[in-house]
Amino acid sequence: MSGWFATLGVVAQMAFRNLFASRLKTIIVGGIIFFGGLLVVVGNSLLDSVVASMSRSVIGSVAGHIQVYNAKSKDSLEVMGRMMMGDPDLAQLDDFSKVRASLLKVPNVKSVVPMGISGALVTSGNTIDLALEKLRNAVKAERDAKTDADRARAQAQVAAEKGHVRQIVSVLQGDLKNAKAVLDAKAIDPADAEAVTRAASDKFWQDFDKDPFNGLEFLENRIASQAADADLLFLNYVGTDFQAFQKSFDRMKIVDGTMVPAGKRGFLFAKQVYEDQLKLKAARRLDKIKEGIDSQGETIATDPDLKRMVRENTSQVREILLQLDAPKTTDFRAKLQRELSSTETDVGKLLATFFQTDDQNFHQRYDFFYKELAPSLELYRVRIGDVLTIKAFTRSGYVQSVNVPVYGTFQFQGLEKSTLAGALNLMDMVSFRELYGFMSGEKLAEIQALQKEAGAHDISRENAEAELFGKADAPADAPAVKAPRHIQATTTPGVSAVTHDLGESLGGKLQREEARSRVFPPGEVEQGVVLNAAVIVKDPKKIKETIAAIEAQGKQDGLSLKAIDWQEAAGLIGKFVNVVRIVLYVSILIIFLIALVIINNALVMATLERVKEIGTLRAIGAQRRFILAMLVIESIVVGVIFGGLGALLGALIVTVVGKIGIPAKSDIWFFFFSGPRLHPFIGTSNVIAAFVIVLLVSAFSSFYPAWIAMRVTPRQAMSEEE
Amino acid sequence: MKAIVSVRDAVKNYTLGNVVVPALRGVTLDVVAGDFISIAGPSGSGKTTLLNLIGCVDTPTSGVVEVAGKDTRQLSERALTELRLHTIGFIFQSFNLVSVLTVFQNIELPLLLQRQLSGPERKTRVLGLLEKVGIRDYTNHRPSELSGGQRQRVAIARALVTRPQLVLADEPTANLDSVTGQNILDIMKELNRTEKTTFIFSTHDQHVMANANSIVRLADGKLVDRVTPGVAASQPHGAQV
Repeated sequence: MSGWFATLGVVAQMAFRNLFASRLKTIIVGGIIFFGGLLVVVGNSLLDSVVASMSRSVIGSVAGHIQVYNAKSKDSLEVMGRMMMGDPDLAQLDDFSKVRASLLKVPNVKSVVPMGISGALVTSGNTIDLALEKLRNAVKAERDAKTDADRARAQAQVAAEKGHVRQIVSVLQGDLKNAKAVLDAKAIDPADAEAVTRAASDKFWQDFDKDPFNGLEFLENRIASQAADADLLFLNYVGTDFQAFQKSFDRMKIVDGTMVPAGKRGFLFAKQVYEDQLKLKAARRLDKIKEGIDSQGETIATDPDLKRMVRENTSQVREILLQLDAPKTTDFRAKLQRELSSTETDVGKLLATFFQTDDQNFHQRYDFFYKELAPSLELYRVRIGDVLTIKAFTRSGYVQSVNVPVYGTFQFQGLEKSTLAGALNLMDMVSFRELYGFMSGEKLAEIQALQKEAGAHDISRENAEAELFGKADAPADAPAVKAPRHIQATTTPGVSAVTHDLGESLGGKLQREEARSRVFPPGEVEQGVVLNAAVIVKDPKKIKETIAAIEAQGKQDGLSLKAIDWQEAAGLIGKFVNVVRIVLYVSILIIFLIALVIINNALVMATLERVKEIGTLRAIGAQRRFILAMLVIESIVVGVIFGGLGALLGALIVTVVGKIGIPAKSDIWFFFFSGPRLHPFIGTSNVIAAFVIVLLVSAFSSFYPAWIAMRVTPRQAMSEEE
Repeated sequence: MKAIVSVRDAVKNYTLGNVVVPALRGVTLDVVAGDFISIAGPSGSGKTTLLNLIGCVDTPTSGVVEVAGKDTRQLSERALTELRLHTIGFIFQSFNLVSVLTVFQNIELPLLLQRQLSGPERKTRVLGLLEKVGIRDYTNHRPSELSGGQRQRVAIARALVTRPQLVLADEPTANLDSVTGQNILDIMKELNRTEKTTFIFSTHDQHVMANANSIVRLADGKLVDRVTPGVAASQPHGAQV
């Protein structure tokens, strides 16, 4: 029907001509629509990109596509973003094997991973505690040496450790001097000052050789408390079945150490937590400065964050000084003097000068640090192979502590930079249950066994000291591990980690050995209590349907299961995305409401101006629908052209920005971008959505004027008023 | 000859608020095909109302108006529009061209609404009419670029392009000077002769009504008489302003 097309053609032509005839109106209306289309495309694309990178982080790390927990829980499950809120109050799922069996009946479910999520505040070891422990071991070795060769080796060891402790004391002396310079005399405890002076005196060390244990006691009680350098550490951990976890979250990769073997207790640090919180701060800052320069293109000269880190490195050399014993001090002095061509003898000042880096010398200093200095330093406060004592408040409120060996660190491939994916550490399910306060049959048996063991060593009060210091029947170092240290962990901040509790000396060794060697019975993880379960699905597009199917299946199997998608499971973070989306949609809505009003107004005015023309058209035989078509097409043409241009420009912006990437300028952005840069992408659905919205708005805004126009009668063509 | 328009006791009242204003008080009129009629009368005599009823733009309050054999009171709004499109052409006092369209497009418009002719057919028809009304040179001009007389020629061409049986012209010369007005009348007369198109036009100008075959005189919504031009000029109560 060429006539029909021709009519449409003439309608369109009239529409176009009218738009040109009233240019100002067209530009105002078009401008608003242009901006609206731009906003829809850019806003949605950015948000979608954030959600996509976030979903990769959340789904790929611990949450999985769907999280399942007990529907009777008081709070809703939050896998992430609960750091400051404490644990949500969740009812337990009594028998994981039943839950798994039920979930696997749902066709889209690929695998199920048992979980429990909690956290504990941990204090890691102080340098001085470690030094004193080494000194004590050396003294014991000297005393117990059977051959001359052993004795000579032990004596050398004692001398070296003594040197280190004296070095620490001299650092404290320096601190004291500084404190005296800035503080009122009353602010310094005279007893502390006196203790430091005494520990620094040659007389003290001569006495030490005569009665080393007395000297050690003094150092532990009076000096160690003044040399605390360890921060409190909050560790979030997921109790899980390591093997099931690794299988389901296949991006997981062991970075250092090894995987926790099946049926063993163990702890894996998230690589990011390990780097961020356990690494020597000066080294960590060097890493961060390097990353800022290399991958973010920043410079120390211009970026305030990098500047701050350089400043902190120059002023906070104490943590390194504390680690240096006499030979290391000499070594560092020589190396630094050579590197800096300086004659300065104070290692602290040399280090400060060394860390005063700028854009020219940074890379050289960085390499020097890792090649020359780092090998002599403990770079991490907890080493792979150490046993971590984690104390946590159980649900019922008492403190439970569990020893878990650290097997290694892990990260998720492709999500190495994601703060979100790297925030949670992994722990075996059995340790988790104990920390959470579930009393399993196995746990009861363990307690009985411990009591039995303790009974065998029944120690009277008088003999306790001898037991504490005198017994030397076992070397402190387990053979398989390089010098495992015992890390005190507690959920109570402020309690000094220095005091060795009695339990450590009595049962600690036993626990430590046991923590490493004990194997759970095969059904232990499977049939026990879990808090939640991560579900990996086969088809991620059907998450909604699968959630419904899981809950229905749970009902059928007599389990009260609640299933939530990854975004809900992400807690605050997931909600934040929703809030941003709502803000975006509301602003889009407002813009389009305003557009609607303005367009409507403009079109009503235009229609009233054209009453005579419309009447004429009606008189010469145009049906009402022709008039309607003409006006609606007019609006739609504006919508399509300007909205299309807006969407196009938006797509262009997003594409260009997507190529370059938006750099995460601060940690918060790093967090939301799940990495150092966000590469926004254009979703076809966003462009289509923008187009549809623009069309709807322009069509909708022409309804009222069109209605007015349709009521124009042909008689009005005859009227003589112009 | 067959009557193309048949008006029987047509009454038309308009309601202005609560007041009923009678515009036509029972008019009876027959127009045969090929006629060239003038409706004359002073302002408010009902000329335009009568033309509106005949033009299917309005329907009578009572009485019957038949156009091309169809009782307009029986027709829906949509059917009336169809009837206007296919049977009637309109010429307006102030031309009423679509300002954003060219001369050609203005004239083509009713054909597009009819959707019966192909593009080339439409072109031939439009150009032929442009030739006849003598504005072939202005095919692609906009109405705003034309004089009043030229615009009215465009309007005539538009009214005739569908080859209607009936063309209604409401004071077609009122906005034109007398020479131009006469030119327009001449064109209409010529088309009436060659195309056998029926013309009904309203006017209160003596010279203009003199062109008609017969003059229908109205006063106060009533038909006074129907005379031939020679007679009308000599009548004492001629339809002057």
